[in-house]
Amino acid sequence: MRKIHLMNEAARNAQVVMEPVRKQDGPTTGLPGKKLAFKRYVATTETGLHARLAQQHGDALAQALMDGDPEIDRELVGREVGDTQTVFLSGGGEVLHASPSLVEVIFGTDGKERERKPAEDVPANTNEDAPIRWTKMRLKRGEVIGKFAFCRTIQLKHVDGLSYDFLHAMAKELADKDEVARLGAGAKGRDPLIFQDNGARYQAFLEGRVDGPKYKLLLHLSNLELRTIAAG
Amino acid sequence: MAKPIIVTLGGVESRFDHEKLDRAKLYGKRQRQVLDPGGQRCEKAELTRDGTLLVRSGMTAQGYFDEGGAWVPSSKLVGLDAKGQPLPAIGSTLGEPQTLSGPVDPIEVLDLAVRSVYALNADGLDPKLEAELRAGKAYKFTFCYRGGYEAETAYLVGNATGFFALVGTPASSEWCELQTVATDALADADDDDDELDFEMF
Repeated sequence: MRKIHLMNEAARNAQVVMEPVRKQDGPTTGLPGKKLAFKRYVATTETGLHARLAQQHGDALAQALMDGDPEIDRELVGREVGDTQTVFLSGGGEVLHASPSLVEVIFGTDGKERERKPAEDVPANTNEDAPIRWTKMRLKRGEVIGKFAFCRTIQLKHVDGLSYDFLHAMAKELADKDEVARLGAGAKGRDPLIFQDNGARYQAFLEGRVDGPKYKLLLHLSNLELRTIAAG
Repeated sequence: MAKPIIVTLGGVESRFDHEKLDRAKLYGKRQRQVLDPGGQRCEKAELTRDGTLLVRSGMTAQGYFDEGGAWVPSSKLVGLDAKGQPLPAIGSTLGEPQTLSGPVDPIEVLDLAVRSVYALNADGLDPKLEAELRAGKAYKFTFCYRGGYEAETAYLVGNATGFFALVGTPASSEWCELQTVATDALADADDDDDELDFEMF
């Protein structure tokens, strides 16, 4: 169980459990009554890649493809590819044995490079230590659905009686007001939430629902505002 | 150009041209690039566990195989429900009028796991629907871009900058009670995109 440290408006905090809200299963692909396996296999080898073939055959490549199967290595093509290890190839195409360096490149909305700088690690900020907090930003539920697209939702759950009271009260407060509260991370509690090192930054809105003693406390995550490109 | 999204409310039709909205178009993007000691950009590749094959981009394909190991062409595959029964194929909903239902409760929209967002450009919009959307109401319709075996759920919403279709699959959460015991773990988020942060706050 992964825990998260949550602080409410009154600066009371507790560690609670977070679980992803799963979308409903869709249909699968297959053949009725038959058991199929989905496999990844070798379709060609390095010498069969287009760039290599073009280099080898030049303008005669089309004819070579019609005359034979120069892209197919009969020893390897069709072989199943199982577990693999990631490697990096140098600019010259050789397997890199030294640690590579990382650079962060920023592109503008026009796709052009704007900035290039050494990459820095950005640690996750949702963990058991530093709490994520309520900010002052509140939106009506009907309002937030017209401002953000929520690609992921995390459900917060209690771990004991005390945290049940803590979360139920939070859910009730939000449900009664028909509001969502924006949560923030970091020292000042204003930063977007990051769930894994160097991961995406999410704006997070906490929504509560109650049904008597039952409650749902849902953290809706978004990294996309609803606005037109022209309005940007 | 793709066919328009056509919806009807009370028998009155509205048409929208659509463009997929993504972060790179709104904010730009941030990319981590790996450089070799000479400063040249590295190519990511894979090495099989036995170390005998270096797998570069473009060298693999994937597909379905039967129990005898024979490849099954994708043209023969069909959609199957949870019981393994074949499902009827569904055509694309683009260019075909879809009935709107609603206005829906905002909670319903919040329960949607959004897979894609389309910015809509109205090309013949019912004034009543326009007023409803501008007032913050949301409407539901069926969406299937290319056709297939599963239609997705879409919600039509609007704000001061325009109209949008949120497309995805409903997600379901469970009620928590005092005796509820949390057992599942959060799957690692697939946060491999390193795009720019919001600037709106």
